[in-house]
Amino acid sequence: MSRMKFYCDDYRCIDCNGCVVACKEAHEIPVGVNRRRVITINEGIEGKQKSLSVACMHCSDAPCQKVCPTDCFYIRTDGIVLHDKDKCIGCGYCLYACPFGAPQFGHEGIFGVKGVMDKCTFCAGGPDETLSESEFEHYGQNRIAEGKIPMCASMCSTKALVAGDAAEVDKIYEYRTAKRGANTSLKPYGWEAYNNGK
Amino acid sequence: MESKTFWECNKAYILTALGLGVVGFVFVGFLMIMDWGYLIQFTLHAMMGDTSGVMSAPTSELEQMVNAAFGPAYNTVAPEIIRASNERQEYIWYVFFAEIMIFVFLYVKNGRITPTITRPDDMVQVLTPFQRTVIWLNIGMIMMLVVTGFNITWSLRSEGGDIPRLLREFHELTGLAWISIWLIFTVIAAKDLKGWRKNTTFRHILPGSFKPSKRGIWFFYAAMGAGLCFSGAMIITLHPSSLTHADVIQFRRVLLYLHFGASVLIMFFILDFVYASAVSVKGYLKGLWSGEYPREYLEQVAPDVLEDLKKAGRV
Ligand code: HEM
Ligand code: SF4
Ligand code: SF4
Repeated sequence: MSRMKFYCDDYRCIDCNGCVVACKEAHEIPVGVNRRRVITINEGIEGKQKSLSVACMHCSDAPCQKVCPTDCFYIRTDGIVLHDKDKCIGCGYCLYACPFGAPQFGHEGIFGVKGVMDKCTFCAGGPDETLSESEFEHYGQNRIAEGKIPMCASMCSTKALVAGDAAEVDKIYEYRTAKRGANTSLKPYGWEAYNNGK
Repeated sequence: MESKTFWECNKAYILTALGLGVVGFVFVGFLMIMDWGYLIQFTLHAMMGDTSGVMSAPTSELEQMVNAAFGPAYNTVAPEIIRASNERQEYIWYVFFAEIMIFVFLYVKNGRITPTITRPDDMVQVLTPFQRTVIWLNIGMIMMLVVTGFNITWSLRSEGGDIPRLLREFHELTGLAWISIWLIFTVIAAKDLKGWRKNTTFRHILPGSFKPSKRGIWFFYAAMGAGLCFSGAMIITLHPSSLTHADVIQFRRVLLYLHFGASVLIMFFILDFVYASAVSVKGYLKGLWSGEYPREYLEQVAPDVLEDLKKAGRV
């Protein structure tokens, strides 16, 4: 069974925010809602600055799905985590549960209170009829149905951001780390900390 | 002699505090998996203005990255919310059931006072228009808050959609409006604390002498209301953007906790009030609307109210 995943290569990401803009543009996302964002640490410190592009990670055991009181999430057979905006009540509990801050809320409700949740769909639309107008309006483009990869990954200029079947993403990752060879650690950073149980 | 008087006068407070203490101990000690050490440290940091949730400097780049991206110590607060959210829909009934059973027990034990009214025309003006406005606003808003709030908790039954979403949005708006009513009660409770057992300012809202045991309900009502108003208003105003997420989300997790806990506790005092005013004695709803009560009703059910009105020269 395939599992669709994103991987952001911190050795390549240059904090250009192209993925953020591409996503907003492709799905016509309103101001204040960012399905994707770029995080930078140690900004300006030479050799130590690192950036990472983050969106919904389409968790295999998704906490948002567990916490949603209306049970409006569903996980496709390819592992993409989607939700039904017609059921969502905008309570925000998925945001409390998500470790990645992926769920987003605009303020389009009565008197500007927060409306229903919006998040990265892996460019796979939603429960509405595939490639219909209503699907686009609610969830944005359905590039997966068109046989394309997500917009962010497809336009990433350094190809730091890759998306697709986890096994394929893993091959790219292995190839890159092997190619970097002795200059860099073969392990992803944080691996030691992970092994130390931190 | 002294201590006996103290016990007698403060029995209600001591028993309530003990009861809540036992429930709290069982809840915190056995039913929760939250990291309380972290929570206490976090609260202290938050009070000093640091809501980032980072308790100690990161020891690895991974930790640094996790802190920057997602906020730290995700597991300390989140497992509760994750576990509680769906399970509480199944189990919170038991808490309400237990709360209701306490009043059923009291009802079976003490029965109900039903006043006999032979002179229905002999009416006394008890409640002023201001008092009635506050009482009805409070009743209306609390009912709205309880229904719309637990509408969120039990969304698995409604299965979501436009109506539950609108109800939730009204919860936020009614909550903000209710802060004014809560403030009135809190100012009164604060004034009463100064006079403790002698005078009660509560009679400005509901006439009567308000023995300490009766005032207890309102003190707790004001206290739980403080938790609800503070956490509710903060949840509404502190909405994280994608850039401020890490700084805000941990704090909001704790606030939601406080809100849910306080909402379950305030229900006990609301039920207590309903029991005291309409179940243990036969209520006189018409009076709440017109402000007038039959003199005999007051003589039999609430002599302290009649006394109070006489003192004020209103009867
Ligand atoms: C008697 C008073 C109140 C009761 C009984 C009550 C009850 C509740 C309940 C049961 C929930 C759902 C909690 C859950 O299932 O996790 C909730 C959520 C919430 N309440 Fe209240 N509440 C009260 C007052 C307030 C006030 C005064 C405010 C605002 C000033 C407020 C704002 C909120 C917010 C913001 C949420 C989170 C959901 C959302 O973001 O829409 N509540 N409340
Ligand atoms: S919204 Fe968050 S918790 Fe849910 S699948 Fe995406 S990353 Fe995981
Ligand atoms: S905001 Fe919507 S999707 Fe998120 S937990 Fe609430 S109902 Fe579910």
